[in-house]
Amino acid sequence: MELQLGLALPGSDTWSRPLLKLGLYEDINVNSKKRGFDHGYLEDEFSAASFKNYEKGLVGWPPVKTWRRKKLRCQVHNHMTAAENGCCVGRASNSTYVKVKMEGVVIARKIDISIHQSFETLTTTLMTMFDIFDENRRSFKLTYQDKEGDWLIAEDVPWRTFVRSLKCLKLIRSRGYQ
Amino acid sequence: MHKKMAFSFPDEVLEHVFSFIQSDKDRNAVSMVCKSWYEIERWCRRKVFVGNCYAVSPRMVIRRFPEFRSIELKGKPHFADFNLVPDGWGGYVFPWIAEMAGAYPWLEEIRLKRMVVTDESLELIAKSFKNFKVLVLSSCEGFSTDGLAAIAASCKNLKELDLRDCEVDDLSAHWLSHFPETYASLVSLNISCLGSDEVSFSALERLVGRCTNLKTLRLNRAVPLDKIANILRHAPQLVEFGTGTYTADVRPDVYSDLAGAFSSCKELKSLSGFWDVVPDYLPAIYPVCSKLTSLNLSYATIQSPDLIKLVSHCPNLQRLLVLDYIEDSGLEVLASSCKDLQEIRVFPSDPFGAEPNVSLTEQGLVAVSLGCPKLQSVLYFCRRMSNEALVTIARNRPNFTRFRLCIIEPKTADYLTLEPLDVGFGAIVQYCKDLRRLSLSGLLTDRVFEYIGTYAKKLEMLSVAFAGDSDLGLHHVLSGCESLRKLEIRDCPFGDKALLANAAKLETMRSLWMSSCAVSFAACKLLGQKMPRLNVEVIDERGPPDTRPENCPVEKLYIYRSIAGPRFDMPPFVWTMDEDSGLRLS
Repeated sequence: MELQLGLALPGSDTWSRPLLKLGLYEDINVNSKKRGFDHGYLEDEFSAASFKNYEKGLVGWPPVKTWRRKKLRCQVHNHMTAAENGCCVGRASNSTYVKVKMEGVVIARKIDISIHQSFETLTTTLMTMFDIFDENRRSFKLTYQDKEGDWLIAEDVPWRTFVRSLKCLKLIRSRGYQ
Repeated sequence: MHKKMAFSFPDEVLEHVFSFIQSDKDRNAVSMVCKSWYEIERWCRRKVFVGNCYAVSPRMVIRRFPEFRSIELKGKPHFADFNLVPDGWGGYVFPWIAEMAGAYPWLEEIRLKRMVVTDESLELIAKSFKNFKVLVLSSCEGFSTDGLAAIAASCKNLKELDLRDCEVDDLSAHWLSHFPETYASLVSLNISCLGSDEVSFSALERLVGRCTNLKTLRLNRAVPLDKIANILRHAPQLVEFGTGTYTADVRPDVYSDLAGAFSSCKELKSLSGFWDVVPDYLPAIYPVCSKLTSLNLSYATIQSPDLIKLVSHCPNLQRLLVLDYIEDSGLEVLASSCKDLQEIRVFPSDPFGAEPNVSLTEQGLVAVSLGCPKLQSVLYFCRRMSNEALVTIARNRPNFTRFRLCIIEPKTADYLTLEPLDVGFGAIVQYCKDLRRLSLSGLLTDRVFEYIGTYAKKLEMLSVAFAGDSDLGLHHVLSGCESLRKLEIRDCPFGDKALLANAAKLETMRSLWMSSCAVSFAACKLLGQKMPRLNVEVIDERGPPDTRPENCPVEKLYIYRSIAGPRFDMPPFVWTMDEDSGLRLS
């Protein structure tokens, strides 16, 4: 691709003909798991589109500030599930093991969060752990309790933020928002 | 004779004249008149504003302005608010505090936005600046209540402590008790961002009681409703108040106590908070509603009828933040009751639901635009829009200065005609000649950018997502928008050509953000090499960009002008492109 650097200030017309639409994402690294723009979604074992009543897996969309989203969801969620969830004991500060519960299952499990680098691998492991088959994957949503005691959707924040503030995990049945 | 004119006023006279000039723009203009004015101005500038903390180094600022008392710094790009900037990107304030601690013992005010503030920084502030008065941290993170305790304990002249929208690590509820019993100079306290257990009520009440000049108090959610009455009684002079949780079992004694407390606040102009609202308690604020100019109900999950009742009591409202529970019907009432309304923000109660959960459409925005002649600033989340509505809005409200529309589903077309919304937004920029800030959404082609480039001559900040067809779109904006300072783009098919053809434009702007677009690594390198006064940062969590083909698009790109050169505090997933970028990557 030949690139030309136009150093003239705006106003001088360096634009003489309409451009062809660029063929997008043809060259993108096929190992990338990042989401791009609509038809750039790559075939992914775990497409966030499988969460039916959830966003398309777009980070930061709609553009509602994180703290606002969190505070609002807390109110709605806490009203609904205050009795149900209670407070996680959480993890010891030097441990990388995190408690995982699944809605409807009495016995909680533990996983080592440090061996995972992305939501994809984490979710795959959890699905296997709780014997959830691929076709049922869509009906579950991964939530977590953060250090402040709030319950949030895992994929709503970047991986690093998630790991840093994670206290415990819960898989719940996807039921849409209220 | 002419030469002598420039020196005919003694410096003190010029200094006195300059002291009436407060805005940075004007001060900058003054400093460019001649060398002697530059010198005089720099010695008497008391407030410094740095819009991008990496555009200049602390040492450069201190060298130029030896006697400032107040500094405002901004760090991360705006899209950091929406999780698009990975953790650890930068924006650390410590180097600035460290430099200023040595040079400026008399610093009084620090205002920070989107910066990483550590406890160490707060402790250094507390230790270094004996006359420290104002600390405003907006959307900052990285500190805990320990840092706050240090500020409380040492800053005897503190007047303002404002932690709006910060992420604070709660370690101890007792930091408030670190304000000495003799301390009484607080004028403004905003702790609304603190988590559940971070405030001790008795310390708070005592503090409020002895600070008789307290004008602004914004509490956090942990403060229960039955404590509010007491607090208000201790501070009837409050002008701005943010409640904590607004829920309790409905009891007549609690209600009348609360209503009585509100009635005693004759100066109250602004209310916020209202977490977990129980509607039965809302009428307690009616006594103050007629004087209210600002109302933030954006956490109040109450339905339209209650919102309507409340809003109808506030004829002098100038600013309203509310959830979409207000619905079109509520906005119609607002339009007829609040003729002084200048700013409205409507937030989505269910941003991720596929189906609308409330009856809020473009009609609500049309109603407010038609009914409120002073409306200037809009932030509106909705699920459908039409060109017709946008044209109507633009024609009726040409005085918009800020217009941000977010149609929740990306690429949503005009629901009536199924066409793109180019014409609608085109009308906005055409009629609203003073528009300074614009956010686009919905289905948009290159055409909307042609309109923007042609008409939006005063536009300073533009936010674009899921829009456009080709580089032509970006080219229109970069070549046409004369006043553009900040441009942020995500998920648009904009690539190398427009960026490179308009490289010089980037030096006239504060910054450009592009993520999930089609700008290649090769173009980034070229830009970095040819434009030494730009920092071209490639942010890519997939690993070093040179492990992929050069024509591969980068994940995220942040370009900003800087006289400080490339920064050295970058995390492993950020690379600066410059002359040496080839060397640095290997």
